[in-house]
Amino acid sequence: MDKVLEVRNLSKQYTKVLAVNKISFEIYEGEIFALIGPNGAGKTTTIRMISTLLTPTDGDAVVAGHSIKTEPQKVRECITYLPDEAGAYKNMTGTGYLKFMAGLFTENPKQIEEYVERAKDINQLGDRLNDKIGSYSRGMIRKLLLSRAVMTNPKLAILDEPTSGLDVLNAIEIRKTIKKLAHEKKMSFLLSSHNMLEIEFVSDRVGIIAKGNLMVTGTTEELKQRYNAENLEEVFERVVNENEIL
Amino acid sequence: MKFFNLLMKELKELINAQMIAGLVLTMLIFMVMGNVMSNSMDELTKEEYTVTIDDRDNTELTAQIMDYLRESGAEIEECDTEGDDYGSILKERGSENLVIIPEGFTETVESGQKAQLITVSRLKSASALSNLSSDTSLAVNSISSGISHFIAEKYNLSEEEISVMNNPIVLNENTVVGEKSANISPDSIISKVMTQNMVMPIIVFVLIMMVSQMIISAIANEKIDKTLETLLSTPVSRTAIIGAKMLGAAIVALLNAIFYMVGFSSFMSDMTNTGAEAAAGNVVAGQLSMTTQSAMLRLGISLGITDYILIGVQLFLTILICLAVSIMLGALVNDTKSSQTVMMPLMILAMIPYLISMLSDINSLPLALRIILYAIPFTHTFSAMPNLMFGNTAVFFGGLAYQTVVFLICMYFAQRLFKSDKILTMSLNFGQKSKMKKAKTVE
Repeated sequence: MDKVLEVRNLSKQYTKVLAVNKISFEIYEGEIFALIGPNGAGKTTTIRMISTLLTPTDGDAVVAGHSIKTEPQKVRECITYLPDEAGAYKNMTGTGYLKFMAGLFTENPKQIEEYVERAKDINQLGDRLNDKIGSYSRGMIRKLLLSRAVMTNPKLAILDEPTSGLDVLNAIEIRKTIKKLAHEKKMSFLLSSHNMLEIEFVSDRVGIIAKGNLMVTGTTEELKQRYNAENLEEVFERVVNENEIL
Repeated sequence: MKFFNLLMKELKELINAQMIAGLVLTMLIFMVMGNVMSNSMDELTKEEYTVTIDDRDNTELTAQIMDYLRESGAEIEECDTEGDDYGSILKERGSENLVIIPEGFTETVESGQKAQLITVSRLKSASALSNLSSDTSLAVNSISSGISHFIAEKYNLSEEEISVMNNPIVLNENTVVGEKSANISPDSIISKVMTQNMVMPIIVFVLIMMVSQMIISAIANEKIDKTLETLLSTPVSRTAIIGAKMLGAAIVALLNAIFYMVGFSSFMSDMTNTGAEAAAGNVVAGQLSMTTQSAMLRLGISLGITDYILIGVQLFLTILICLAVSIMLGALVNDTKSSQTVMMPLMILAMIPYLISMLSDINSLPLALRIILYAIPFTHTFSAMPNLMFGNTAVFFGGLAYQTVVFLICMYFAQRLFKSDKILTMSLNFGQKSKMKKAKTVE
């Protein structure tokens, strides 16, 4: 399988805090990779660097052959990013928003229509897409944004806490959509979450991050076996205890 | 195409039904206010003049004066009062004014001395309009004229001779601007120019405030909703994002400028047209001198289309500077509260030239103060109109060049900010953790 993302010794130093410390991992085509860790562990900073929003202070990441440091514009053509608890333009209708966002990825009107239709199939919001986003529930907004993030068939979709703040049913629906797209469309995903049970269900491989350090990576089963744990939460607990980082 | 897509999004965000309704309403309010004020002034000035008179002298002359007053169109209410507790007298009678012809008035007039007349007016407020009903000046003028008439008869003088005695000099006033002159008093020109120049600073100030608020809120909302992060991660250049945001806001600002300009001009013209030309025209040697408008044309201080285009260009530059600075200030904002706070520097920079230009001519200030004021880029727009009117073209075009340089510098920094991490990481907190920062920044 081809590598879609390769992160090499990526670091980010804010004025007083070393938010990310030389982390390295890779994501393959059609793979769902999750970064898990508590709040403040460095997940969002890592994701923002890979999304070309923040400049790394050291190291690099290569997305579909393009460096985030030297070719950020090329990287942006290959990725989509869904921030944690993101909103959308409240005065736009759902369809209007999808058209606007599609227009930022292509100038071809036919392609724009294709993207919008694909998003409509994914979000299943039906006629509500003709209403203003201001009238949507949180779950509807998240579905709309997720469909926006995947409608362009990006090589890598980066989703920060994709189900945060959602009720159980909406969260399950979003997880199913992510799995389906990865396995059927061979789309790669980089997720972040502090909900480890959710990640156990959705991801192919996980990376445990704490205090800016990537402690361990592997499939859920591998990690559970290695740390003799019943679930990822236990794995996480043992990893941080072993390394005395909390 | 992508830029157009972004621009359309900005315009859709900024131009909505409420905004259009607000604009139309503002213009209508100005127009209706102007019309109502103009009509009220007309009504008040046309209203029959009512004056309460207490003739304590009660002679043939005072009776004649009363008749003279009635003939001149005044409504006379005669009364009989005593003492000098004028507050109680007005209260008892329910009057707004009172003219008392004191005992011995006729005797003093007949002896060729100046006679005393007592006038009482109730002051209800500091407004000129609300005190018109308590004004006694017309009655006093009529009484004075009546006495002049009496003296003329007594000494067998003609009305003209009396007039010459009262006003022995006729002024033929001329005003010079540069090398051009016109037969008009400088007061008339100053009053007209001041009225015209009042509009511009108000429009500029309102626009600066509105544009800053608009762009700071737009950036703050995008940051809080994280739509900015989404936008910045798409394959669109940062220049296109910043450019679309600025152009969208500039179009809306200009739309506002046009509505304000039309509305306010209509208000001012309604307000100033009432009797303005009559006040402006001077009687010179028995004939009316030129109107203020034609005098201004002759003096070369009337603005033409080119001047208005130049003022428009400068106004647009001011808006652009304001937008570029606001983009940087907006990046500091993490919540709606701090969006008010970051506006302060712009508000102060706009307020200083605004107040000074309303009260004085910036060009007549001491050099050091002028340099400080002209260092504020907005000052050039506040003084654009008088600079063009009075031929200070070097100051005007210098200002235009200075504003262009300031705009380019601000744009450079705004663009650098958008291309750096700081657009997402910097924030303004006065010792409090913002909603966004609490959520994460260093996660």
